[in-house]
Amino acid sequence: MPVAEEILNLAHLTEAEREMIVEVLQRDQELRKAEEQRIRKLKTDLLDTKRKGAKSSSGRYGQHSCGRCQQPLSRLCLGPSQCRSCKHNVCPECRAPQSDGSCLCTVCVKESDLKKSTGDWFYDQRVNRFSTKQGHDLVRSSLKRPAPKKRLTTGEVLPPPPPAASKQQNGDQEPADGARLSSRKTETLSSTSTTPESAPTPELARRRNVKSSPAGSSVSSLSVSAKADSFSSHSSSSDATAPQENRSRLSPDFPEAEGMFKKSLRNRNDLVHASALDLRENGEEESSMGHRSYSVPGLDMQDEEDEDIDSLVNMHKKTVASSRRSSACTLGSTMSIYSEAGDYDSVDVSGEIVYSVSYDEHTQSLVIFIKECRELAYGDAIRGRCNPYVKCYLLPEKSRQSKRKTAVKRNTVHPVFNETLKYSIGRLQLQGRSLLIAVWHSGRLTRNAFLGEVMVTLDVRDLDAPQEECVGLVAKTASPMEACALTEHKGDLVISLKYVTPIKPTTIAKKIKSKKSKAEEGELHVLIKEAKGLVAMKDEASDSFVKGYLFPANVKSTKRKTPVVKKNLNPHFDHTFVYKELSLERLRDMCLELTVWDREALSSNEFMGGVRLSTGTGNRTDGKDGVEMDSVGEEVSVWEKMMQYPDSWAEGTLPLRATMGKNDN
Amino acid sequence: MTDGDYDYLIKLLALGDSGVGKTTFLYRYTDNKFNPKFITTVGIDFREKRVVYTASNPNGTTAGKTFKVHLQLWDTAGQERFRSLTTAFFRDAMGFLLMFDLTSQQSFLNVRNWMSQLQANAYCENPDIVLVGNKADLSDQREVQEKQAKELADKYGIPYFETSAATGTEVDKAVITLLDLVMKRMEQCVDKPLAEPANGNGATKLSPAQPNEKKCAC
Repeated sequence: MPVAEEILNLAHLTEAEREMIVEVLQRDQELRKAEEQRIRKLKTDLLDTKRKGAKSSSGRYGQHSCGRCQQPLSRLCLGPSQCRSCKHNVCPECRAPQSDGSCLCTVCVKESDLKKSTGDWFYDQRVNRFSTKQGHDLVRSSLKRPAPKKRLTTGEVLPPPPPAASKQQNGDQEPADGARLSSRKTETLSSTSTTPESAPTPELARRRNVKSSPAGSSVSSLSVSAKADSFSSHSSSSDATAPQENRSRLSPDFPEAEGMFKKSLRNRNDLVHASALDLRENGEEESSMGHRSYSVPGLDMQDEEDEDIDSLVNMHKKTVASSRRSSACTLGSTMSIYSEAGDYDSVDVSGEIVYSVSYDEHTQSLVIFIKECRELAYGDAIRGRCNPYVKCYLLPEKSRQSKRKTAVKRNTVHPVFNETLKYSIGRLQLQGRSLLIAVWHSGRLTRNAFLGEVMVTLDVRDLDAPQEECVGLVAKTASPMEACALTEHKGDLVISLKYVTPIKPTTIAKKIKSKKSKAEEGELHVLIKEAKGLVAMKDEASDSFVKGYLFPANVKSTKRKTPVVKKNLNPHFDHTFVYKELSLERLRDMCLELTVWDREALSSNEFMGGVRLSTGTGNRTDGKDGVEMDSVGEEVSVWEKMMQYPDSWAEGTLPLRATMGKNDN
Repeated sequence: MTDGDYDYLIKLLALGDSGVGKTTFLYRYTDNKFNPKFITTVGIDFREKRVVYTASNPNGTTAGKTFKVHLQLWDTAGQERFRSLTTAFFRDAMGFLLMFDLTSQQSFLNVRNWMSQLQANAYCENPDIVLVGNKADLSDQREVQEKQAKELADKYGIPYFETSAATGTEVDKAVITLLDLVMKRMEQCVDKPLAEPANGNGATKLSPAQPNEKKCAC
């Protein structure tokens, strides 16, 4: 995609005019933010509907059960009850008749509603003309170009970035947190390089780099040039990458300042790491990825160093698959929440728990006060014993880091704990999370037994005024679905796909027949733009990267990875994966798997979500790479659009799946 | 205003020569007021309005579902010096109010130019547009006849309205007509590919934008 730099010449505008325009853009930004939130909600709703549907789109199911609720279908109503979009046979409950007499299943109806209400219908059209850059962005970045005379004083001329409302146009969800992060980064910067006016500096460097303006000359030397270098090396990697890269690289600050700033800082960090400090980091991911791709853009990025990630993917798939087999829940891997072996069924749940939840602004932590339990069931009914303790998870995170436990109280079914459990976490990161408070019996020699639990949704709570609550414990059976719902929302991945058609076989190709087959093969470009609203796996924002596989793998490895974007739950990757020698026919039978990972420096990377793009039909089994083409919704539509319109970008915002497991039924 | 309690966010944009009354038109529409003073718009502005849209049934029978629509109405500067800025906003709008001044022949002649600006800069080559002749109340100063304007609108295949921001005549109707066009297109965009997935040209009348793309693919 050729990206002629799109910048408007607005130099003739006066300062006052600029300010007025910026103000309007600001108001627009607020509206966009509200819209973004609304859309997020809608997409979550769709997931709910989808989750209810047990069948994937692979179509391997019996014809005589409903594709959505799996109720057996009466043989009489087979014909007309097929959804005309997804071709599943659906029962009357799961179908919505259309005006033309055909019918659609509930999921497809919801999907098309979503397309309308999110405005995707419009953006899908526009992307064919303007790729990604929106008008307001263009104006904004153009405005940020200072009037020629004022070149050196941009920092002063431009209004300071308002803390919250500005940020990236996708509406970062954690303004406060973002601010915290950036200030932390500023520290890093000043400690390593020391530029007093740190804000304007990266911008200057950038400008100098981009457009050889005399700007930077008066500004101090070392740090600036270092940044400029890292920048140029970075940009060299992105020649295959599309416009967004350029946007963020070229558009100097104001609302995007933060994003920009982070970006340049990221490179700065890389430099620091590479030079010395962190051996581990140096040996892995970051440098191997970063540097290789930076310096040798065309090079195929098949790295061997990180087999650990692959085995992890496989492991992840397997555990999910097995947990599915054993749980009633079709989509989630909730069983893994319960890390310890224990019996869920041995005890009839009874009793209640008294607790309070609040947020401590001062220490930036979520505080759970576990007061007591009453009338618990006996964990060891035979011996009439019970040693209860309370265990807490801050869902959707289900790792050990998210676990908090109270002490074990011996021999009582009315334990008084009076214990405080804490999670240090930014307030805004609590959005969409919930607390799972479970009571367990600690069997010393026998197994632990589950005594009941409560689920506390944090969204809808008033965390400022802690109120003691007494809630009846419920049995496990009710919650897997609920837990699924909570683990389900993993954020969105924004990508664009383009199939680049081969150069038409010319007369030469006709002459040399052997060449011809080669010439018929085009390329698949996968632009990984950004992820939005990732769910943090730990207290602070994650360092994430995206990995791609194309199945079935041909001779070469199809693994591709983006560089790691640090400490950001809305990371902009702007990285393109290129798969060569592909024909459209073959793509029809292929499946692209993109997974987002949280890079852990000292342990294995953690899975944050993924998507699977394909036509959604058929099942590829290719040795150990067997993968099911169970794509749904946008995963299918983006893939099909890519094939339908070669040489133009098909863009999509795909909800991340919480698991990449295969269906076992 | 922006509480997110709506079904659709629809973005419309008013364009046309300087002084034809775009700002007063939108002010009349959103606030039902009239400001006779001429204050030139600096670059760009927008107003918002929440409306309830009733989908007309395709078979023309009783009214269908109702939706809450949040309208974002972009107001652009007509002055030449803001041209590059305002055209950049064309691509973000779903529908357009192309306005001219009934008392200014020149503003009517320029409709042609605005049309081609739109074709080049809107989200697709044939976006939804409504032609609006404003200042209908100043009948004694009229320079553009209804027939002339109507012919031009027909040539482009777009609706035409003669409005008055001063009295409010036809203002609502022009906007609602445009909204209706946009909503219909939305339905079409979503339903067509669904109904005929095999049909290679899913978004029928919207695809002409595509060949352009090929030029710049590398």
